[in-house]
Amino acid sequence: MGDMKKIQEMMMNSIFDVYEKMFFVFLEPVDEDIRYDMATSIRFTGPLKGELTAFISERMAVSMVENMLGLEKQEVTQKHMEDCAKESINMICGHFLNKLDPSKVFDLSIPEYEKRAGIFKKEDLATLNIAFDSDGDMMGISMTIS
Amino acid sequence: MSFNVLIVDDSGSMRAVIKKIITISGFHMDNCHEAGNGREALTLLEDHWVDVIISDINMPEINGLELLDALKRNETLKEIPVIMITTEGSEERMKEAFARGAKGFIKKPFLPEQIRKVLYDVIGVGEDGRYEENPRNDDELDF
Repeated sequence: MGDMKKIQEMMMNSIFDVYEKMFFVFLEPVDEDIRYDMATSIRFTGPLKGELTAFISERMAVSMVENMLGLEKQEVTQKHMEDCAKESINMICGHFLNKLDPSKVFDLSIPEYEKRAGIFKKEDLATLNIAFDSDGDMMGISMTIS
Repeated sequence: MSFNVLIVDDSGSMRAVIKKIITISGFHMDNCHEAGNGREALTLLEDHWVDVIISDINMPEINGLELLDALKRNETLKEIPVIMITTEGSEERMKEAFARGAKGFIKKPFLPEQIRKVLYDVIGVGEDGRYEENPRNDDELDF
């Protein structure tokens, strides 16, 4: 249980780092289900094997693109959102695994992306589920360790 | 003196950000070429000379480490300094990249100052644009 809490803390710090440094988005953890418009996932193998998925609302994706690329809202395309979403999960995963054990080598897959809407539920069966809000922009992260 | 830079990353957004940071940092950049993976980079290098390559590791087709190997095998290209900029920041991965010829290593997520510093260190140019005799690479010297 203590380990899981530590893992959750490392994951949250990794997410904060990536969103703040790369997308200038400041997240607040929330204890509620959130609505998402796209999902992007990455698999990792090594001493630990699993999958990380980010569920992102369109508003959040637009903010990420605007901030990262310095674009106006009307200039943001689906391609930009897909690209930023995939890059974000790639960075979060790498950063988290490096925090978990910097002496171990993990292999990451190429991130996959799906444009699908749904509800991210905190009670889902994944090993770890965390939801975030940033001024109404929502995202959730779920990690499954196999 | 201006330099030609090649940015290799499968994310167009990341290439755009790196390009913007280099431009804003005041680095004397002449041409900035972009490639989406190692294969595209090698094709581009057949027709364009670059002074420094900034490359991701985790990419489709030919990844960043395989790109280092391909450059090492090529008499014309083997001296081009390569900076890896990647999420894969384990100590072993860094050692592996340096052993395969990388001259600098930046972990994502990064701050703009980190890119500027490693770039200046690796290419051996001070912030005033003048060449330094012995460029220092702190990341590399840590090992």
